[in-house]
Amino acid sequence: MRYRIRHITEYKYADRVSYCYNLAHMTPRTTGRQTCHTSRVEASPIAVSGHLREDYFGNTAFHFEIQKPHRELVITATSEVETRPQTGGISLDMGLTCAEVLRQMRNPATGDVLLAREYQMDSAMIKAAPELKAFAEDLFEPDRPLLNAVSALTDRIFTEFEYSPLATTIATPLSEVMASRKGVCQDFAHLQIACLRSLGFAAKYVSGYIETLPPEGQEKMVGADATHAWLSVYSPEEGWFEFDPTNNTMAGEQHIITAWGRDFYDVTPLRGVIFGGGTDPVMGVSVDVARI
Amino acid sequence: MSAELPQQTGLNTLDYNVPGLAGDEVRGADGEIKPHWAYLLDSLKSITPEALDERQQKAMRLLRDDGASYNVYTDDINPARIWGLDLVPNIIGSDEWGDIESGLLERAELLNLLLRDLYGPRQLIRTGVIPPEGLFAHRGFLRACHGIKMPGDHELIVHAVDMIRREDGSMLVLSDRTQAPSGMGYALENRTVMSRVFPSLFRDSHVHRLAAFFQQLRAKLISLCPHQSRPRIAVLTPGPRNETYFEHAYLANYLGFYLVQSDDLVVRNGFLWMKSLDGLNRVDVLLRRVDDWFCDPVELRSDSRLGVAGLLDVVRSGNLVVANPLGSGVLENPVLMKYLPAISKALLGRELRLPSVETWWCGERKDREYVLTHLEQLVVKPTFRMTGQFAVSGAHATKEQLAELKARIEAEPMQYIAQPLLPSSYLPTLKDQSLQPRPAILRSYAIAGTGSYSIMPGGLTRVGLEDDQFIISSQTGASSKDTWVVASEPEREVSNLPSGDEQTARDTDLVNLPSRVLENLFWLGRYAERAEAALRILRTSYSFLNGEEPLTPELRAYLLQVIAEATSTPVMNVPPTDSDMTRQLLEGPVHNAIGNMLNSMLFCADEAKELLTSDTYRVINDIRDTIPALSISQPSGMMSPEDVLNPLVTALMALSGLSHESMVRGYGWRFLEIGRRLERAMQSAALISGLLGPVLPEPEQSRITEALLLIMEGLISYRRRHGARIALQTGLDLVLLDPSNPRSIMYQLEKMQVQLREMPNKKTYLHELPAVERVLVEALSRIRLLSLSETCADDSGARKKLKVTMQEQKAAMIQISNLISDRYFDHREQSQQLVSGQWEGL
Repeated sequence: MRYRIRHITEYKYADRVSYCYNLAHMTPRTTGRQTCHTSRVEASPIAVSGHLREDYFGNTAFHFEIQKPHRELVITATSEVETRPQTGGISLDMGLTCAEVLRQMRNPATGDVLLAREYQMDSAMIKAAPELKAFAEDLFEPDRPLLNAVSALTDRIFTEFEYSPLATTIATPLSEVMASRKGVCQDFAHLQIACLRSLGFAAKYVSGYIETLPPEGQEKMVGADATHAWLSVYSPEEGWFEFDPTNNTMAGEQHIITAWGRDFYDVTPLRGVIFGGGTDPVMGVSVDVARI
Repeated sequence: MSAELPQQTGLNTLDYNVPGLAGDEVRGADGEIKPHWAYLLDSLKSITPEALDERQQKAMRLLRDDGASYNVYTDDINPARIWGLDLVPNIIGSDEWGDIESGLLERAELLNLLLRDLYGPRQLIRTGVIPPEGLFAHRGFLRACHGIKMPGDHELIVHAVDMIRREDGSMLVLSDRTQAPSGMGYALENRTVMSRVFPSLFRDSHVHRLAAFFQQLRAKLISLCPHQSRPRIAVLTPGPRNETYFEHAYLANYLGFYLVQSDDLVVRNGFLWMKSLDGLNRVDVLLRRVDDWFCDPVELRSDSRLGVAGLLDVVRSGNLVVANPLGSGVLENPVLMKYLPAISKALLGRELRLPSVETWWCGERKDREYVLTHLEQLVVKPTFRMTGQFAVSGAHATKEQLAELKARIEAEPMQYIAQPLLPSSYLPTLKDQSLQPRPAILRSYAIAGTGSYSIMPGGLTRVGLEDDQFIISSQTGASSKDTWVVASEPEREVSNLPSGDEQTARDTDLVNLPSRVLENLFWLGRYAERAEAALRILRTSYSFLNGEEPLTPELRAYLLQVIAEATSTPVMNVPPTDSDMTRQLLEGPVHNAIGNMLNSMLFCADEAKELLTSDTYRVINDIRDTIPALSISQPSGMMSPEDVLNPLVTALMALSGLSHESMVRGYGWRFLEIGRRLERAMQSAALISGLLGPVLPEPEQSRITEALLLIMEGLISYRRRHGARIALQTGLDLVLLDPSNPRSIMYQLEKMQVQLREMPNKKTYLHELPAVERVLVEALSRIRLLSLSETCADDSGARKKLKVTMQEQKAAMIQISNLISDRYFDHREQSQQLVSGQWEGL
């Protein structure tokens, strides 16, 4: 599938911003199942000394300064990406069992497994906890294939949690999400990663976009979509497998990856330091994913 | 005990026994004094305790004059401690030092290779030499720093090692310091002081010199900027409140680099710039004294005010070199010590000559079990150093502390390591006029050079305050020693003059200071003058209020009014019959206000420390020492206000004289001078208006004019010129118009004009004056055009013309101050994060 994605981020400030330094993760990366053909990030006011680099996780990071005083900042990222389904013919009933995965994680046979252990540890926004382990533990029977169990956990989160954009902010801790049983895609991805890590598995946070199909017979709303997040779990020798708890599915052709890391903090779409700006800036994001 | 000692002239020989199992640095296993100690101990014997005391005093004085201090974080009120230096050096023979040195070289090389791997291919993780958690769970591993590459042969530029001597005499490494190692400057200061306190002893001992080492540091930093012929190099300090600020300023001066703080720097167009008087100047190399995490709020710790937004990306694009490289704190991870023998085999093909302390990492199950069952014998440390986090010695901990420690380890096992509680060997240390054994730790330093590293001959030795102290740290009050590597032959002299081809920008740049420094000098001048004015008013008022001739209530009220105005405090209520007036004047808000002015002045002086001579600093220290005496209530009748106020006035005048006589006439001096003149003109205007504004009958009019002359130091010249009778017009002439009186308003304005003409201004072909000068010319003309008789005219009980003129004068000074501030000083807006919330996990 080929998509054109337009991702617009707007900030409106109470006071003049005289200067700002930014770091954006808005350029889709090329992976085993997608190819980023073109990508462009533009800023208004115009950015200076902007440049791309590959970060620690292999994502494309865009650094730029804005020197013109402004009260409104608009960042527009436009990309064309071709996606493919995840490795053809994955069967949730085959593959390594939970017990075997854990054994190999503990006794790594290859450098890849050793490096994957980075995603088994706590990270800035995701901490393993007994309550998270307890929430998922019964699904991960030793003889059950790992992917089958992960899929069941995806289903459990989808079923037991309510999607509610107003319930959380990016700073809401997982314990609150667990208590309220509400959240957004980012919370669900964090939650599932935390459960997997609490059980000893390695999982990463994937940030990107999803094509949401309009209801039958209606025009698709431009800009109605937002950035999306899901996760990827590691099975030694077999590789990484993406699951989307918000939609209770494995990530497929409709999932477009921008970046991955240990959690949201590693791949925040836009961060930076501004000088001035006053209090309570108003932020708006719109994403348009169109098939071409 | 002392009674049993035989009478002797000098220091006792070593009649102590080293406690427990610890080693003795001075005596060998046979109990004999080691040869390289003999000369020193013999010499000490010939010094009487009194002479030794005198030398100790001299050392203290030198340290204080150099401003050698160490800030203790736990003391909010008076954090600065004079750096502690024990007069008995730590002596190491040069043969033995040769072995230690080659061990240190090897270790520095190894850590350099390790750093390159950890931020590069991470082969040591892939091949299982270091378990992934050992690296990935450490907060010092900064993923944002992945791939940064230093120019030249080395990633690690400065490497410091803390080590102790074991019972068998061999050295053992306790820890590595690899971000911004402190102590080099203190080692240099210790050396400077020792060579002045014991000149002949030092000379005859053939001590290896330190100069070549610092020359190497300077050359290395210059070489890091290969493209620029005169690179601009700066030392980045967190500021005067940092524990080791003294050495930041000291090293910057010694090496000839700029001293900068976060606010002096800005990133623009992908480069780093220093804000100075003539705009932005590009910085090529930063020697940082700010920890990794705090260096860049964009990519590292988001709430840091000590770094520069965008710094990391400038480094990444190769437009700036930071030493040590950002992220190098990963090497301070003590977990690596556990794996160091294996790492060394993998990277160097052999084990290290200089061993490290045995380390158990709680992230490994077997180690954790051992640690939890042997806590009483171990010292447990967090793997990441943060303020407020200390090592815990199981043997010294209470049951509750042990339980709490266990819980912490179990909750976050990867974040803790344990090491055996090792006795350090003991060094003779001066205490109560005798030599006492104290546990010692040595910090040594390596600097990357071409090809290999250079090791500082010696290093910084620290000794515990008590003979059983288990952690020796300057934060917990340890003292220090100079470290002498003694050669059998005298060493060739090395001067620290740079060779011609390795100049830096600062060598040829006398005017370009960070604008923060200029701003602080301007305010140093203003606060000093403001405090002096207030003290003078207070002093004169006191002698009038308390004098023989009683004052009328009006006179009294006017004096109290000007005191209130000069100190911005409420008018005091001093009843006419109060005999305890001293007390009234020495307590309460007025003295607090003066204390605040002086403290503000001292703050500015600290910020501009690198520009002040050691004589100047000595006066600053005198003032600092007097402040407590100001605010503590005096025992009544014991001290008169003059006793407190006079030394301060004298010190402030000395400060002013010194800046005049010993500061280079660069922009720093000009701003200080403008600040002084401006404040004095302003204070004088207020005083003249307050005292001479009201029309009084004689003899009160003459008395208050006399008071004014006394405050403004004009009474003697007045009497010489005009005799004993004080007349209003002639008095006013002296303090207002006389250009030859250095305290007249006219004099201040003329001096200011001279300096303002020297200020850098935008080049223009037009002939209009800059705004600041326009205001000054207007003020000057206003005074020049005054008619004394009109000014003194009585307008229904008040001299309205005088009051209005002085008011305008004051307003003009405020306007000039604002214009200078807008034009030359930096006004940084508050910065904030685009996405709020802090997840760095610190």
